[in-house]
Amino acid sequence: MRSIRQPSVLPGFALTFGFTTFFLSTIVLIPLAALVLMTASMHWHEFLHVVLSPRALGSYRLSFGASMLAATINLVFGFIIAWTLVRYEFPGRKLIDALIDMPFALPTAVSGIALTSVFAENGWIGSYLHTLGIKVAYTWVGVTVALTLIGLPFAVRSVQPALLEVQRDLEDAAETLGAGWFYVFRRIILPTVLPALLTGFTLAFARAVGEYGSVIFIAGNLPMKTEITPLLIVIRLEEFDYKGAAALGFVMLVISFVVLLTINLLQAWGRRRIVAVSR
Amino acid sequence: MSITLDQVTKRYQGVPVVNDVSLDIGDGEFFVLLGPSGSGKSTLLRAIAGLAGVDHGRISLHGRDVTHVAARERGVGLVFQNYALFRHMTVADNIEFALRVRRMRAKDRRKRRQELLRLVALEGMDQRLPAQLSGGQQQRVAVARALAHNPEVLLLDEPFGALDAKIREELRRTIRQVQRELGITTVLVTHDQEEAFALADRIGVMNLGRLLEMGRPHELYTRPATRFVATFLGAANLILARQTRDGIRFGQASVAASASMPGLFHADREHEVVAVVRPEEIEIAPARDRLASSYLTQGQVQELLFTGALERIRIRIDEGADGAGISSDGSGSALLEATRTQHEQRAFRIRPGQQVIVGVRRIHILPTPLSSFTACAPTDGLARALVHEPLLAELALRMKTRISTRAEPRLGMPGANGEAQAAFAGTTVIASHADAVFQVEWLLQRGAEEILILPRDAASPQRVLIHWTDPALRRATLAVSASILRHLSAEALYVDILPEQTPVAQRSHGMRALLDARSEAQALHGLEMRTELHFGEVSGELSRRLAELPGQMLILGIRESGALAAPLGPLFSSGRWPVLIVHRQHDGAAEPAGP
Repeated sequence: MRSIRQPSVLPGFALTFGFTTFFLSTIVLIPLAALVLMTASMHWHEFLHVVLSPRALGSYRLSFGASMLAATINLVFGFIIAWTLVRYEFPGRKLIDALIDMPFALPTAVSGIALTSVFAENGWIGSYLHTLGIKVAYTWVGVTVALTLIGLPFAVRSVQPALLEVQRDLEDAAETLGAGWFYVFRRIILPTVLPALLTGFTLAFARAVGEYGSVIFIAGNLPMKTEITPLLIVIRLEEFDYKGAAALGFVMLVISFVVLLTINLLQAWGRRRIVAVSR
Repeated sequence: MSITLDQVTKRYQGVPVVNDVSLDIGDGEFFVLLGPSGSGKSTLLRAIAGLAGVDHGRISLHGRDVTHVAARERGVGLVFQNYALFRHMTVADNIEFALRVRRMRAKDRRKRRQELLRLVALEGMDQRLPAQLSGGQQQRVAVARALAHNPEVLLLDEPFGALDAKIREELRRTIRQVQRELGITTVLVTHDQEEAFALADRIGVMNLGRLLEMGRPHELYTRPATRFVATFLGAANLILARQTRDGIRFGQASVAASASMPGLFHADREHEVVAVVRPEEIEIAPARDRLASSYLTQGQVQELLFTGALERIRIRIDEGADGAGISSDGSGSALLEATRTQHEQRAFRIRPGQQVIVGVRRIHILPTPLSSFTACAPTDGLARALVHEPLLAELALRMKTRISTRAEPRLGMPGANGEAQAAFAGTTVIASHADAVFQVEWLLQRGAEEILILPRDAASPQRVLIHWTDPALRRATLAVSASILRHLSAEALYVDILPEQTPVAQRSHGMRALLDARSEAQALHGLEMRTELHFGEVSGELSRRLAELPGQMLILGIRESGALAAPLGPLFSSGRWPVLIVHRQHDGAAEPAGP
């Protein structure tokens, strides 16, 4: 017996754990704490005045509403795209697979400008929609389009591996037992990929809430109408109203945290339903 | 009939994975589809279930044609190798799945579930999740789930594959019991012959997409008709022998013909045949006079393996007169496999390296007309080159037979007919070239019965055309065709050719001949073939058909032994397709019958 310590398969736990806490603290926890502290230095009355102003309320509605809508759209279409990529073999599959990641790589401002030029009233798509009476650029619809674009890869990439795990045999078994395709989808495929779907939704939503670059180009930024909260924060900063900016940031933090926590709990519940999938 | 398959064919990218399978399975029968992986057995099962479409043929369940009916409307229960349980559902939900789909009331569902759980001995497991069960229990749940909706047919796809030996045996017993109790028609797919023997009322052996043979387990084991079945169902020594009027001759040794050897070859001439000797039918003795059975040969014990109840022995046959003609696998190495019981071991103890006398208690002659190959060319070097032709090498490997070489300097040259020489036994192989037709004539005059003409680098054919020039050759040509096609994944096409000026009144005879040929191929050899009727000149029509597509082969039954050059010559010298000539001078009665 040369060592009394339990040998571990992966050495260096102490070192890596120390690094993890240090890293998380410097990058995530301390800045967030500063935000909270800054807010805490405000007077209660002052705080409410800032965060409940009509302009702020309008921006929350747009930011979280459009993010939620965009994440939902991504949930549906991300699933369909992932399904197509996983289940079918067709020419150009690799190309489409690579295209999915483009929004990851593109500077968000570039996607914003591109979207604006396409969806503006005189743009390629915008001009057609305009004749139908639909305005995209400079409305909340445009915001949603931008948020959908940047969230798509998150949805697809989360669902893809889960779909790979749904064995054909399960569908075949269900089919021989008399189930139609919709029944198979609802009772077999959906429950199996639900946790992954929720993860995709969460990631796409979180990304959308924090998005700034692409939205400000297409939104038009009319106060109360097409102004997102991150933009409002930037405006406050430009007015040197640091406390006001911090207060708005704090509200975003709280709402995002509640939403993400809810989804995570939902997910944990879903996971428990299919214990030990890997067994 | 519960399940009827009629000429079912399924192709993947043009290659048939299920090739013309016809099959009837009776009510309540337990049928096992046995074959190596890739033999098409699982695809066939999926086709019955409706999960894989077929390219040709019909499938009926209980008299209802379901060829184009979706899987969910076929009323079958299917059990998968990997259980395929719904992991997010409890055992109860899994079993009730089919009942929920059918909107059965909760009370009735629960009653049926209890029944099924009792049937598979899993009472009280209702609320478990599949992940909380052992492999054997999961498969029981899968069986119960497949039976929930009272299917007319139960299909099992390698259901014991993922289980260890003990559980496998237990589950095997459960399934047999359940099947008996419900009297449900069952098809099980496996590659394990022991499993097939333990469960089956009837076994169908598949290889290369074809259903080779069907029969009761004991029947198939003792009287296989093909090399593949003989060696796939248990161990077998395949031995080349000569059948004479007095019995079977192995080199110098002669084994008296007995009742166990069906007299299939009535011809006056000697024939080379393939004999199957099961390891347990071999007797080992210290001296010839101590042998209780017929003397076969002598040899040296090369390897002894203790396997519990049985002792496995490999015996190297002595080279020399006695060993001639014996080949257990085709690699040319003369090794015999034998097994002995404890009782036999006590009576005569042996050790490796010992010289022993080998006797045989029972032999079975395969009713196959193709025994071995002899590559024949004017020089030794050319004959040796033929041995390495891919198609010949493939055939020999699959038929587990040997290729010998023979140099005939005067091959194809006109000259005296009466030179003293050994007869041409088995199939003689020559290269395809401009003078091939003269070599064919030369060989025919010297008694060769099957001649394979090989072009250079001919690949395994995808379609085999069959034709005979005289109706009397039908039986022989079909027997040879069936034998060849068992070892190739090719489609068979019988081409009949009538002269251009055949009067319309006689054309219907041609059609009848086609039908006769088809039904004989199916009845005697289990060979499914398509048929075509052409009008014109034989060589021209066949050449035209063969030239249409690459990857074809011709099997040609002929009667005449001389003067072939004019009408048939071009077929042999094209260098583009292999031709197998089946030559018989006697009438059909002298030919091997049976598959």
